[in-house]
Amino acid sequence: MTDADPPCAVRLASVTKRFAGVIANDAVDLEVRAGEIHALLGENGAGKSTLMNVLTGIYQPDGGQIFIDGREVRFASAAQAIAAGIGMVHQHFKLIRAFTVAENIHLGWAETPVRVSRPQMEARTRALAEKFGLDVRPGAVVGDLSAGEQQRVEILRTLSRGARVLILDEPTAVLTPDESAVLIRNLRAYAAAGAAIIFISHKLDEVLAVADRITVLRAGRRVASLLAADCDEPELANLMVGHDVAPRGRQSQGWTPGRVVLELCGVSARNDRGLPALRNVDLAVHAGEILAIAGVAGNGQRELTEVLTGMRPASQGQVRLDGRVMRADPAAFLAGGVGHIPQDRLKNGLAPSMSIADNAVMREYRRPPLARGPVFSRVAAAALAGRIIADAHVAVPNMHAPVRNLSGGNQQRLVARREMRVASRVLIAAYPTRGLDIGAIGTMLRYVIEMRNSGIGVLLVSEDLEEVLQIADRVAVFFAGRVMGIFPTEDADGEKLGLLMGGQLA
Amino acid sequence: MAKSWASSWAVNLRNIQKFFGSFFQKRTASFLLLPAPGRWPLLISRLLSIATALIFGGIVFTLCGYDTVRLAVDVAQASFGDLFGLEDLGLIWSPLILTGLAAAVALRIGLWNIGGEGQFYAGAIAATWVGLHVQAPAGIALLLMAVAGFVAGAAWILVPALARAWLAVDEIITTLLLNFVAVLLVTYLCTGPMRDPANAVTAASAHVPYEIPPLLDDLHWGFAVSVVLVFAVALLFGRSVWGYEVRVAGANRHAAEYAGMRVRRRLMQVFLLSGGLAGLAGMLEVAGTVHRLEGGISNNFGYLGIMVAALAGASPLAVLPASFLLALLLNAGIVLQSYGVSKYAVLALTGLVLLSAAVGERLAYYRLAPKLASAR
Repeated sequence: MTDADPPCAVRLASVTKRFAGVIANDAVDLEVRAGEIHALLGENGAGKSTLMNVLTGIYQPDGGQIFIDGREVRFASAAQAIAAGIGMVHQHFKLIRAFTVAENIHLGWAETPVRVSRPQMEARTRALAEKFGLDVRPGAVVGDLSAGEQQRVEILRTLSRGARVLILDEPTAVLTPDESAVLIRNLRAYAAAGAAIIFISHKLDEVLAVADRITVLRAGRRVASLLAADCDEPELANLMVGHDVAPRGRQSQGWTPGRVVLELCGVSARNDRGLPALRNVDLAVHAGEILAIAGVAGNGQRELTEVLTGMRPASQGQVRLDGRVMRADPAAFLAGGVGHIPQDRLKNGLAPSMSIADNAVMREYRRPPLARGPVFSRVAAAALAGRIIADAHVAVPNMHAPVRNLSGGNQQRLVARREMRVASRVLIAAYPTRGLDIGAIGTMLRYVIEMRNSGIGVLLVSEDLEEVLQIADRVAVFFAGRVMGIFPTEDADGEKLGLLMGGQLA
Repeated sequence: MAKSWASSWAVNLRNIQKFFGSFFQKRTASFLLLPAPGRWPLLISRLLSIATALIFGGIVFTLCGYDTVRLAVDVAQASFGDLFGLEDLGLIWSPLILTGLAAAVALRIGLWNIGGEGQFYAGAIAATWVGLHVQAPAGIALLLMAVAGFVAGAAWILVPALARAWLAVDEIITTLLLNFVAVLLVTYLCTGPMRDPANAVTAASAHVPYEIPPLLDDLHWGFAVSVVLVFAVALLFGRSVWGYEVRVAGANRHAAEYAGMRVRRRLMQVFLLSGGLAGLAGMLEVAGTVHRLEGGISNNFGYLGIMVAALAGASPLAVLPASFLLALLLNAGIVLQSYGVSKYAVLALTGLVLLSAAVGERLAYYRLAPKLASAR
């Protein structure tokens, strides 16, 4: 940029944001000009959302500066960022479902007249919708609208607050192809009218089609800012995943697959909203291997782990454990030797209000010596809990304190250790290192490798490709509920994985 | 245009917030939300909140021209002064123990049984019917009546329990509505099929020939049975595999399912136990105190049991002191009526105790802390 150019609509200068022990954004620079669509590309955890939360005043940066139209600003709250013309459309809409579109537009808006009737609000909304060329029905209740319509309401609300910088977080994730096309047409029009648009995505083809410029984040750092016209998908995949991510090979060479222990045959499953989440998946976990599932979060990983542990029924196909066809019953999988480190430990893995001891024995309470007939032995339970806590290196002031008092890392270690004890055949580990610091990550991965070496089949879901390539024997890439490819780790490289994760068949 | 008024109200709320926000920004200290209250803060806040409610009530009584101190002394005298007073207290305490235990049991798995009243009536109906139609030695007849009362109470909650477990129908509504069915059923039976033909004046069933033997003069063995059941239920929840599963399911249903527990089955069992205990309370009231079926036999014990359970924080053992407190208040109400105080004044006082106990419960989660440095 030369001195003659007008200042950037948004300029972030070495913005740094730390969370307890983790650097989410490490001296990130970003320049977004008025009139452009700027894509922010990166894997989960690359720091995209944190950066945008800093820009929208939700987080305060630990270092760096923010310039809007060349003037430095500091946002103490989201309200201040909105007042400065920055608007964000979140992936999960922040609308009141029971209110009408007009009510949602006027809620919490300084320009809403103090006394206003429903027809007035609807008329104002209609005028706004016309002004911004958005097709919304002011009188409709938001809960009845499709995802695309709800998104238009969000965008209208943001624009009506005078946003000149519009941030959209994965806006096409919830849209049909037609709706996506409409959205992109609208975005181009706003950009042409002088708005600066930040478009967050991990879909390579979409980014190339929509954006004027692209900034790639990886592991909290900015790795590149490019003109979209100058780059192609393989290059972006490499940047997103990292050149340095090369297969390190397995820690035990000369691996030969053991027997198949856990198997999916043509399995389809639906998510909680009843939409297809797994589509005709064939997958086999062998004894003594680590099979890693790579993919951007939300592409069926949760449903996969739940189907593999009996928590979610398959709508089609069979789940076999040691050759036996299994019903969707977690107790049967537990009895068959399947341990499960769940994705949402606070939702599924723990009862937050119960004691650490009660939580530690949640999988073995039925076995002697904890259960003697119908009697639950508190003494035996405390002894077992003590062993698990010690093995997991959980720092516990008092075993009878509620488990929610533990830090996230300690909760994770507790759940992992508990599950490893019952995983005599298979361990399903979803993001086992999430929330752990560097040292604890190494310990956790060593445990996983030890389990593999003792002949247990491990299915590892991870968003950290480096971790995957470091310890996995095979990698399966998931996209939109489908297996895009399964191959030995030696054959995987960043570009190939990145393309498959972005939905491109290599 | 009520709807439009509501929506413009919601929108205008923000302007009000902005106005008041300026005051809140001047605080120098703030409340820190703790993940769990300590044992002592919880106990202290409970006692303080009960004391607050009583003091507040006392002030109102004084303002209304009563000699509050004398009333309090007289109430204490009437309740604790002699054996008769204590026995009267025990007769109120004992059904409250069981209905409170019934509500507390359901709360252990995270659900509200608002239908204690209806289950109490169902138990009373079944026990009365058995008592009037079975000819047996007193011991066996009483046992049959108890079984009938328990089963009838459980049956009364069966449909809400099934609807909750399999269709996720809100149990608060269904159990509550069945109370009204039970009240009307009792009225029908007492004026129709079960009416005492020898008594043309009152709408009630015939006298039940079997009576629970007295523990003292008036106080009967039902009181001892209630107390024993409290300890039995506490043991069941604290020391059995079944109780562990119920506690996990109550704390986090998803975690219980993940751990391979049969959550629906536990839910059904807990609800049936809850209904059965309330039904048993109805049987004890018939066989121990009233000796016949009549409208109003429940004395609101079913509803008051919900209050007991809430005060007890769903802990079975804490049901004993919580129900005692409530029995004391009710007994005080009876005494106060003889001084011309309206019974509604006592009901209001009871509500005040629950309200302040609920507030105190939440306050125990907070700690006063110096205000954090502003983000600016």
